[in-house]
Order: sequence, then C-alpha cells, then structure tokens
Amino acid sequence: MLRQLLVADFLKIKRKGFWLLTFLGPLGVVALQMVNYGLRKDYLLQQSDNDWEYYLSNVHSFTPLALILGIAIFTSIIANIENETNAWKQLVSLPVSKMSVYLSKFTALASLLLVSSILLMVFTLLFGVFLDLGEEIPYVELFQYSFYPYFAALPILSLQLWIAIVSKNQGIPITTGVLGVVFAYSAYYLPDWMIWKWPSLMNAWGEPVVNALLGVGLGCVLYLVGMFDFVRRDVK
Amino acid sequence: MEYVIKTEGLTKKFGKETAVDRLDMKIRKGEIYGFLGPNGAGKSTTIRMLLGLMKPDSGMVRVFNKDLKKERIHILKRVGSLVENPSYYPHLTAYENLEALRKILRVSEARIHEVLEIVRLSDVAHKKVKGFSLGMKQRLGIAVSMLHQPELLILDEPTNGLDPSGIIEIRNLIQRLPEEYGMTILISSHLLSEIDQIATTVGVISKGKMIFQDSIHAMRKHSRQTIILKVNDGKRAEHILQGKGIYANYQDSMLLLSKLSDQKVAEIVRMLVQNGLAIYRVEEKQSSLEDIFLQMTREEA
Ligand SMILES: Nc1ncnc2c1ncn2[C@@H]1O[C@H](COP(=O)(O)OP(=O)(O)OP(=O)(O)O)[C@@H](O)[C@H]1O
Ligand SMILES: [Mg+2]
Repeated sequence: MLRQLLVADFLKIKRKGFWLLTFLGPLGVVALQMVNYGLRKDYLLQQSDNDWEYYLSNVHSFTPLALILGIAIFTSIIANIENETNAWKQLVSLPVSKMSVYLSKFTALASLLLVSSILLMVFTLLFGVFLDLGEEIPYVELFQYSFYPYFAALPILSLQLWIAIVSKNQGIPITTGVLGVVFAYSAYYLPDWMIWKWPSLMNAWGEPVVNALLGVGLGCVLYLVGMFDFVRRDVK
Repeated sequence: MEYVIKTEGLTKKFGKETAVDRLDMKIRKGEIYGFLGPNGAGKSTTIRMLLGLMKPDSGMVRVFNKDLKKERIHILKRVGSLVENPSYYPHLTAYENLEALRKILRVSEARIHEVLEIVRLSDVAHKKVKGFSLGMKQRLGIAVSMLHQPELLILDEPTNGLDPSGIIEIRNLIQRLPEEYGMTILISSHLLSEIDQIATTVGVISKGKMIFQDSIHAMRKHSRQTIILKVNDGKRAEHILQGKGIYANYQDSMLLLSKLSDQKVAEIVRMLVQNGLAIYRVEEKQSSLEDIFLQMTREEA
C-alpha cells in the first residue's frame, strides 16, 4: 500500500519544483564555497594545517540553513497540494489507511532530503578535489558532514510536516518555518536542547554523532505524534 | 432484508450543535437513494461519516453488511465517492489526476480513458485542471468516483455548479448505472427537482434528523391539496385570516390555504368580502413534490 501511495505522491509533486530544489540546495551550499575560495583561496589555505578539514567545515557552515529552509519549503508545498482543494477527503476516502497516507508524505520528503545529502557529498568532494586540497581525502569526515546534519534535522522535518498537514491556516507552518531558519542562523547561541541547533552538529560534548543519533530518535517520536494526531482528526 | 448502507442512531456533534441526530438510514441494493435536505441539514456530515472521514459521536454505520469501524479499507474498495466541492490537483492534467489515484486503486490504465469518455473529458485529458470550468471539474470528480468500478457510489450534490444541460447529462448517466453496472447510488441534493426523476427512494433530512424515508411513490401520497386565493390585498387578507385562527400564507401575490372543507372555504370568502377585499380567483391545486418537500422541512423547522 505504501509503495502505491509513494508513486502517487511523487506524481503529485510534479511541476512543483521539488527535484529542482533537491538539486539546487546542495549546489548552493557548495557554490558559496566556490565564491569563498575563488576570492581568497590563499588566505583560507593559510588558516589551517588541514586544508580538507577546514574546507569541509566551511561547507558545513551553510548546510543546516539550507536544510532547514528546504524542510520548511517542502513541507508546506506538499501539504498545500492536498489542502488547496481539500483533496484530503478524496485521498482518505480511498481504500488506504490514514497512517500510510501520512507515512507516504514523510517518506517522500525524507527521500528527497536524502538525495540532497548525497548530492551535497558529491558536490563537496568534486570541488574539494578541484581545489587540490591534498592527497589524503578525509572520507569519514566527508560522510559525517554530509549525512549527520540530515539525521539531526529529522525532528524538524517531523515537526514541520505535522504542523503543515494539520493547520487549516497556512500562515502557521510558514511562521514556524521562518522561525526555524532564524534559529538555524543563530544556532551558535542556542541551548543544546533546541532541535534547530542539532544540524549544526555543535554540542557540549563535541561529538557530532550525538546530534545524529538524537535526531533519529526524536525524529521518530515526533513523527509518531504527528501521525497519530492526523489519524485521530476528522477530515473536513 | 439486506442493506447496502444501514446506519443506526448515527450522531455527530460540533461543539454544542448536533449536526446529525440519531439518523437511521437504510439503502437497498440497486436503489438510487435521493438524500434531500436544505442547506446545513447535515447531508455532507452524514456522508463523511459513511466514508469514515469523520468519526460519529455515537451510533454505527454498516456498509455491505460490514461494520465500517472495523472494515473500513475493505469496504472502501467497493465504494466511489464525491464529497461536496470536487477535489483535484490543479497543477496536474485531468489524466494525471486520475493516474495518481489509479496507482493507489490499482486499476488498469485503460480505465482512465473509459471514465474520461463517460464524463466527456477525453478531449481535454491532457490539459491542466487549473483552467477547467466548474462543470468540468465536477465531471472530473465524477470520473474519479467511478474509476475503480465501485458497487456503491456516494455523490454529494454532484450537479452543484452545472448548467441545465450538464445537470441533465449527469442525471442520465446516474440513471443508467444501477441497470448497467448493478451499482447502488446515494445522491444528495438540496433540490428535490434535481433528483425526483431518477430517485427510487428518498430520505429527507432536516436539522440533522431523518424526517422521511420511503419510496418516491410514498412521498407523492403525502401530497395535499392547497386552496389558492388571489385577492387585491394579500397581506391584509393574511392578517385577517390569521386573526381568526386560520393558517394562511401569503407568497408570490397568492394566498395559500391548506385543504379545507367547502363550507370553510365559503366562510373564508365571505369573511374577506365583508372586510372589503376583492377576490379575483379561488383555485384548488395539487401540491407538487417540491411543495411537499418544502412543507416537510418547514414543519420541522
Ligand atoms: N467541520 C465543521 N465544524 C463545525 N460545524 C460544522 C462542520 N461541518 C459542518 N458543520 C455544521 O453542521 C451542520 C451540517 O452541515 P452539513 O455540511 O452536513 O450540511 P449539508 O446538509 O451538507 O448542507 P449543504 O446543502 O449546505 O451542503 C451545519 O450547521 C454546519 O454549520
Ligand atoms: Mg453539503
């Protein structure tokens, strides 16, 4: 049942710019470093002994922002596709469970963001090689900087999707989305428990993996809360 | 007797307001059941509960003799529906709209062409629905509801927004379905005239309560004669009669009186003449189904 719903969901997001955004997000993050390194490569190489590590952290400085902005946009468009003509009533009158309807939306977005993260890794690697930062490519760090923010952002995805789907007023998810972006921008000043800080991979222990694991854990919890709330509600 | 739809004590409240009040609905196989009621009577709310979109506060719904609460998905495989305004994805073409649902319903691609043909949208199949007229969107909604060849079709005001020829077209289509495909149909409307030619059974709902449920023939038997008076000053005549405790209703420059004995009519005429009114006509009229329907819902109000 989930597979059919997913196929339908991917058909419904056609012409809404999802794939373009999936591609542009990581490209933009790396493009900022193209500008950065294009303008002052010599200066930047002087800043650190480990050029690859330094480059990766520079790329990463914009990843959380792009990710959180992307989540806000994706969740509000995908919810709006059903909200626009209240197609929920048509969708939920089909012989499918409400849980799988919700799971399908989540899975579609989680997949697109995963593709983004894979692209981020590819673009980061390609430009890093182009910069000629050294023979020793730190693949482990490259993987961490590409995928940990994704896992750490799952609670935000769960939360935003829930808000976007159950809100009658589309101003609400837009407001929380904008707030999230502002939080992401000021992640450095936020306490560790704020989920918008998590994709920055900063924490008191200096262990990025903590953010990724917490993200998966709380992401699942918030997903379940949102799904059961959706199932419980009447469809207008 | 086996029913395709059977509800018992179905109730739904929104806050303090009871939108559907202990409703018992019975629909037999092969019927075209006209579900009638004025705006806000609770038709759409009832239909939402029949589809499991809304949970009743109390009462139960059985469809195909199965409990909706327990076997919703199983039941919905055999039900097609159109609830209130048609839902669609405006950025997709008519074909893509059906394709998205086809994937979920697992029917053949050929069926898309069939239903588009049935509702006469084949020519615009590859145009975006955004640019469709209201009538075309409504027809697309009907195509969606028939996509998986359901045994039960639930249509909530399917002719809403259609022009007269569109209404006739849909009506003819619906009329064919029970015979040709063995479908059972529930169709709601706030106008009796839209369905009296096709409905075999009628359920009238008013303020959430089912106030009449029987065959359309039985409804016709409810028809009553009305006496119509045409006078020079209807407002005053109404006032005079009401002063004497006779129920009269002045509308469209006619004075309507419920069926009265000849003696009583003579008395009324005399009374009006004595009050200086000029009487132009006294007529007797068999009330139409529409009048009966209006009267039923008015009496309840
Ligand atoms: N989601 C809701 N929240 C609160 N009240 C509602 C809701 N849906 C319906 N109602 C109320 O329930 C009553 C019945 O509404 P319903 O839509 O079922 O009527 P209807 O018979 O379909 O009318 P119409 O002919 O206008 O479509 C109305 O008084 C309406 O205001
Ligand atoms: Mg309605």
